[in-house]
Amino acid sequence: MIIDTPKISRRSFIIGSAAIGSGLALGMNIPFGPRVARAADGSPEVTAWVVIRPDDTVVIRIARSEMGQGTLTGLAQMCAEELECDWSKVTTEYPTPGQSVARKRAWGDFSTGGSRGIRESHEYVRKGGATARVMLVQAAADAWKVPAAECSVANSVITHGPSGRKTTFGAVAEAASRITPPKDVPLKDPKTWKLIGKPIKRLDTTDKLTGKQIYGADLTLPGMLNATIKECPVFGGKVKSFDAAKVAGMKGVKKVVQVGDTAVAVIADTWWQAKTALDALPIVWDEGENAKVSSASIADLLKAGLDADQAFVGNQNGDAKTAIAGAAKRVEAVYAYPYQNHAAMEPMNATARYTADKCEVWCGTQNGEAAFAATLTASGLPADKCEVYKLLLGGGFGRRGAFHDYVRQAVLVAKQMPGVPVKLLWTREEDMTQGRYHPVTQCKLVGGFDAGNNLTGLHMRISGQSILTAVRPEALKDGADPATFQGVVPSGEFEFGYSVPNLLIDHAMRNPHVPPGFWRGVNINQNAIYIECFMDELAQAAGQDALEFRRKLMAKHPKHLAVLNAVAERAGWGKPAPQGVFRGLAQMKAFNSYVAACAEISVSGDNKVKIQRIVCATDPGYAVNPAQIERQIAGSFVYGLSAVFDQECTVKNGRIEQTNFNTYNSMRIAQMPKVEAIVMPSGGFWGGVGEPTICVAAPAVLNAYFAATGKRIRSFPLKNHGIALV
Amino acid sequence: MKHGSRRQFLAASGGLAIGAVLPTRAAAQLARVPPNNMPDVIRKLVGPAPIKPGKVKIGLPPLVENGNLVPLSISVESPMTEADHVKAIHVFTEKNPLPETVSFYLGPRAGRADIATRIRLADTQTVVAIAQLSDGSFWSDSTHVIVTLAACLEEL
Repeated sequence: MIIDTPKISRRSFIIGSAAIGSGLALGMNIPFGPRVARAADGSPEVTAWVVIRPDDTVVIRIARSEMGQGTLTGLAQMCAEELECDWSKVTTEYPTPGQSVARKRAWGDFSTGGSRGIRESHEYVRKGGATARVMLVQAAADAWKVPAAECSVANSVITHGPSGRKTTFGAVAEAASRITPPKDVPLKDPKTWKLIGKPIKRLDTTDKLTGKQIYGADLTLPGMLNATIKECPVFGGKVKSFDAAKVAGMKGVKKVVQVGDTAVAVIADTWWQAKTALDALPIVWDEGENAKVSSASIADLLKAGLDADQAFVGNQNGDAKTAIAGAAKRVEAVYAYPYQNHAAMEPMNATARYTADKCEVWCGTQNGEAAFAATLTASGLPADKCEVYKLLLGGGFGRRGAFHDYVRQAVLVAKQMPGVPVKLLWTREEDMTQGRYHPVTQCKLVGGFDAGNNLTGLHMRISGQSILTAVRPEALKDGADPATFQGVVPSGEFEFGYSVPNLLIDHAMRNPHVPPGFWRGVNINQNAIYIECFMDELAQAAGQDALEFRRKLMAKHPKHLAVLNAVAERAGWGKPAPQGVFRGLAQMKAFNSYVAACAEISVSGDNKVKIQRIVCATDPGYAVNPAQIERQIAGSFVYGLSAVFDQECTVKNGRIEQTNFNTYNSMRIAQMPKVEAIVMPSGGFWGGVGEPTICVAAPAVLNAYFAATGKRIRSFPLKNHGIALV
Repeated sequence: MKHGSRRQFLAASGGLAIGAVLPTRAAAQLARVPPNNMPDVIRKLVGPAPIKPGKVKIGLPPLVENGNLVPLSISVESPMTEADHVKAIHVFTEKNPLPETVSFYLGPRAGRADIATRIRLADTQTVVAIAQLSDGSFWSDSTHVIVTLAACLEEL
């Protein structure tokens, strides 16, 4: 995508007609807006999703955010599949959230998270392409005065069969844009797909390599000032006072401003001047009661939940407690998983320009609509006086999805400097200490066997933090947080893959003051470690092979089993591994995809772990771009393995202790294992790709670590046990 | 028959502008919370009296980042005299667990029929305000609010 600044603000569509068609009143259900809308260069919009220029360039509109995951290319593939256009002439652009709101949500949901980008918009995006195709063919047929049924279309060329006449999309787009969109255009049978399912190269690689892509932090606008901010380091604390006079004379400083009750920002000519002044600014915080909290006090709080009487039930059948009490053999283990920060490579930032008549924001966001909503609230202006221009994200991972605190801050800062664009860029330290952290939990697992070594009862007690209680209390179900049970629920997108005669999985909710958030994969990360490592413990206790033990419990879960079998077969499970190499398995269903991994590792005497290879399988139902899925799997392992080996946010005096990558590490290229991906779409459903596989890397490695050393590690990260990834 | 009764209610009430939420497959896919029985509850409260659009104005943002605390204002055109005043303002939501969100009872001594508060919205939905006047008539306004999805939140 081409983004030229500051022309971004002029990318708004020119609405060619004030008449609002009846289709519009149906909102996003029929993806067409006012007739005829035009792109900024005057090219006609055939449907809300498709703009065609006279030179046959096809501009496909993408509402979801590209952040490296490839959704831009995947969604364009889906639209182009139905459009029957020349793929070499496809480009993409983002509609703005303000336009979407003004057009009754013509582009639907902008949210890019939950591995939903493709699986929840495939239908209307394909329909947008299919409808445009029918309109283009009709326009050509009308011009030739022939029935549309006599015309065929391929590669942006429309051909009238009987006469052999040909025309191109670009030549008929203007006329097509005036045709009333047909309703219910049928979509292709997946068996006939030509673009979907192909490992097509990404559309954004060239711009990425040439530096043409503009990330939020890159943005420069004429007359722009720079700002940086400090929130009270103790969550829940407030600003008591600050002495602006102490830094007012420093070079470049324009203004010192309070932002809400909790933060102070400095606006200066350059960012470094703002940062230097903010560092020098005396600020007194009212830290409040939370300043007494530490990691140890949080751990105590959670520990008490492990045996608490009251807990929310997430999955239950039979009577687990009785079965375990009467078991011939009992196995018990307690695991713990720490706070982790998203630590996106690009710290949070947004640029805002505010006047009494208009508020504009430029930012990276996983949800343009949410950024827009934050802009409305912070500016106090109506929707038709606000706009958000999405820029690329230097990492999202959930941090830029549900929380637009950085947008709110940027607008509140810009409001105190009316008419001047102000770029608010957080320091790395601010980004590390003002996260919305992966929630902290502990887990006690108890399994019971009968005399024949059959697993008769399993109790999984999770104790710890609920994300929804903090972020979306309206989504709680009678006080319970259903998201806590991702990966271990009886049915649905996060269906538990095992059948146990007596099962209880429950959650003692314990909510410390540290604000939790959705961290790539969310609660599957720790739940997969808990259940998949414990499955290995149970298999060991029963004296059975880890794969065979699982297979017995998975007979009623054939799709779960299929991916597990696939990795076992590819990795050679059951056959001797190379000298010094040990294997471990894990599987889970998450975000409606079935995933499994088999890790092969070796461990040197001084506890240095080399991951030789991870074989990973995923069944996402449909694979839109298998090459992109393979990269997503590898990318998810970077995140998942960094987390299990190195990443922990600890709390001291109510604040996060880690302030930079020196204490919050991420793995390096040399540490990256070989990843063999098996993409095995079985069809008939749509699963996500960005997140599911992240959760199987860690338990597979941990199980391999046990195979290698005989040691079970049950608290994380591994660096706390002197274990290093090499 | 919930939809049927809702449509009937809308028709009877002079067409509150809720047409934008006609269900289709795509919408159903994204609809995380099913509609409650708002039309029935409204009808129960109002009785057989007609509900006319007008006089009432809802102030709500068209979209909110989070439904936890949503600023709501409602004003009703009324001289607020003994003879002609607003007796009550009722707020209903289409997808909250309970449709009756809040009711305000007023009298001529209130001086103005303007209220402001914060409400919680469970999902993207329509909000309806109905004012009951001292002459027994009912007036209404409705608006649609988008509650944006949290990043990795999924229905389970």
